[in-house]
Amino acid sequence: MTEVLITMKELTKTYKSGNDEVQALRGVSLDINRGESVAVMGQSGSGKSTLLSIIGGLNPPSSGRIEIDGIDLYALSQEKRADFRREYLGFVFQQFQLIPYLTAQENVMLPLTTTGYSGRKKREMAEKVLCRVGLAGKMNRLPSQLSGGEQERVAIARAIVNEPPLVLADEPTGSLDSRTGEEIMELFTGLNREGLTVVMVTHNPENTRYMDRTILMQDGRLADNSADVLKLRTAGKRC
Amino acid sequence: MRLCQIALNNLRRRKSRVALMVVSLIIGVGTIVSVNAVVEAMKAELTRQMNEFGANIIIKPDSGELTFSYGGIVIPEVLFDVEKLSTADAEAIHQIPLAGMVRVVSPKLLGMVQHGKHHLIISGSNLPDEFALKPWLRLHSGERPEMGEKEEQAAGKDMAYEKLNLTREELSRLNITADQVLLGANVAMMLEKHEGDTLTFNDREFGIFAVLEKNGSPEDNQVFMSLSAAQSLLGRPDEVTLIEVSVDYSLGPEEILLRQLKNALPHAEVTSLRQVVLGRDEMLFRLTRFGVSVSVLVLLVGMLVVALTMSAAIRERTREIGIFRAIGFRQSHITKIVLMEGAVLSLVGGIAGYLAGMTAARYAGPVLAGMPLATPWRADLLIAAVLLATVTGLIASAIPARQAAKLDPAEALRFI
Repeated sequence: MTEVLITMKELTKTYKSGNDEVQALRGVSLDINRGESVAVMGQSGSGKSTLLSIIGGLNPPSSGRIEIDGIDLYALSQEKRADFRREYLGFVFQQFQLIPYLTAQENVMLPLTTTGYSGRKKREMAEKVLCRVGLAGKMNRLPSQLSGGEQERVAIARAIVNEPPLVLADEPTGSLDSRTGEEIMELFTGLNREGLTVVMVTHNPENTRYMDRTILMQDGRLADNSADVLKLRTAGKRC
Repeated sequence: MRLCQIALNNLRRRKSRVALMVVSLIIGVGTIVSVNAVVEAMKAELTRQMNEFGANIIIKPDSGELTFSYGGIVIPEVLFDVEKLSTADAEAIHQIPLAGMVRVVSPKLLGMVQHGKHHLIISGSNLPDEFALKPWLRLHSGERPEMGEKEEQAAGKDMAYEKLNLTREELSRLNITADQVLLGANVAMMLEKHEGDTLTFNDREFGIFAVLEKNGSPEDNQVFMSLSAAQSLLGRPDEVTLIEVSVDYSLGPEEILLRQLKNALPHAEVTSLRQVVLGRDEMLFRLTRFGVSVSVLVLLVGMLVVALTMSAAIRERTREIGIFRAIGFRQSHITKIVLMEGAVLSLVGGIAGYLAGMTAARYAGPVLAGMPLATPWRADLLIAAVLLATVTGLIASAIPARQAAKLDPAEALRFI
């Protein structure tokens, strides 16, 4: 039986730009199941990154409601929301966004910094996920000493190190060549198979083949306002 | 991985900014440390100089405007017809209620005599009292006990008034007879006289009991004899020119003592050298206030540089802070990182500022103050410097820290 992890109801988001108002989201309602992998596609300005930031607890909606695992995300205080992000979410940002003065292992340990784990436990957890993403021998390298694909793997390891139920990825293959991009998508697929829920914003239609479902966004709305129609669970899904 | 590691790693990465901030703190803290050290050393030196001047109350006739200077002390012009002091006045000092505070009373008669072509200053007094008041007076033939004491004091080891040895000369052997004199070093040199020679003033012959060591004081130019001999020689029986008094102010209230002295000697002018000391203290206080004002100004500028530099660094780190926030750092964690960076800079700036300030004080202080100064390394000043730097650094970091903590992570990561 499928269990809903994320529930979004009539989410809207309006930004002010000088005297103008820009409506980034116009009433998005969507459920995402636990263990599901969902690609969010759409043109630039369609609202997909805004949707991702709202799911990530970084950007309060102008109206509407979002619950993750039954928790009303924006009913929490800012600091509680930070705790929520640490426990429930892993972020994979565009262009990796690693901290340049920290080694791969230290970057991966970042989400553990504010936990009560011992230093040894933190190191062990970081080593485990770095091994999982295939970087066992490069833990002590700085980001500048790693290739793009390796940096993306470090970013993924950082996102999963505290074993969150949900990973949000924003254009994770955007800066990579196609071969490396495929490797990364396979890595996401493997994590999804292990039970991780993945929501990924992507411009690359190829990536949708690795995902359970693809949502198209247009002008701040789901393409035809029906997520079911856009379900693209294909027979050709990879891996 | 801990918050402090993030702070330290970030500082290591931004060497030029860190150097700028540390130098700002060093200048600020160093200025305050050097000013403080120099002023403290000046106070100690002035205290030492005041202690060496044994008398702290001068009693002289009330003279109106007719005065002349004796060893830096303004006294009435004796040749004019003014109120005169007598030996009875000196006795009266011992009768006041607070006489217990009085340690030494030394009445003296000053006058001029002709010796050949030379005019000489005669100082008649009770010599043991005179030597007790002026510990720098030494007989040329006497030994030099406790040499190096000044040097020890200059090194800051012992500045207490009580520790000064006021009886360094053997006072009991200074009981000279009515036909003996002591010669100041310059007088002896000028007259080419030595211990055991004789001198003749007004047809009276005096034996030279001893010659004083040259010490750069007005006493080098005087001829000392007993008070009664001087009164007789100068034809001014029972008269004294001034009375020098040494008082221990730790034994009672200064104001009341002075009032009692004035009441006991209504025709005399009682001057407390404490007032001179207080005057100097006031001057020193103003100097300190000026130094502190300059230091605070420098410190504020340093604080501003640190705040602006950190603020600029925070703007550069917008995305980085956005990442921290996105992966679960609370605002308080971001604040802690920035404040830790400020604290580390402050610690380094404080210690380096102390070393720089003390070095400046040791080498430039004596030149600037125009007097020999002892500026020992002081742990209390080091602690104060580090605390000052830390407070300064933390205050300067507070606004950038708040600025960092308040960053909107969505905006920082350009989700908006």
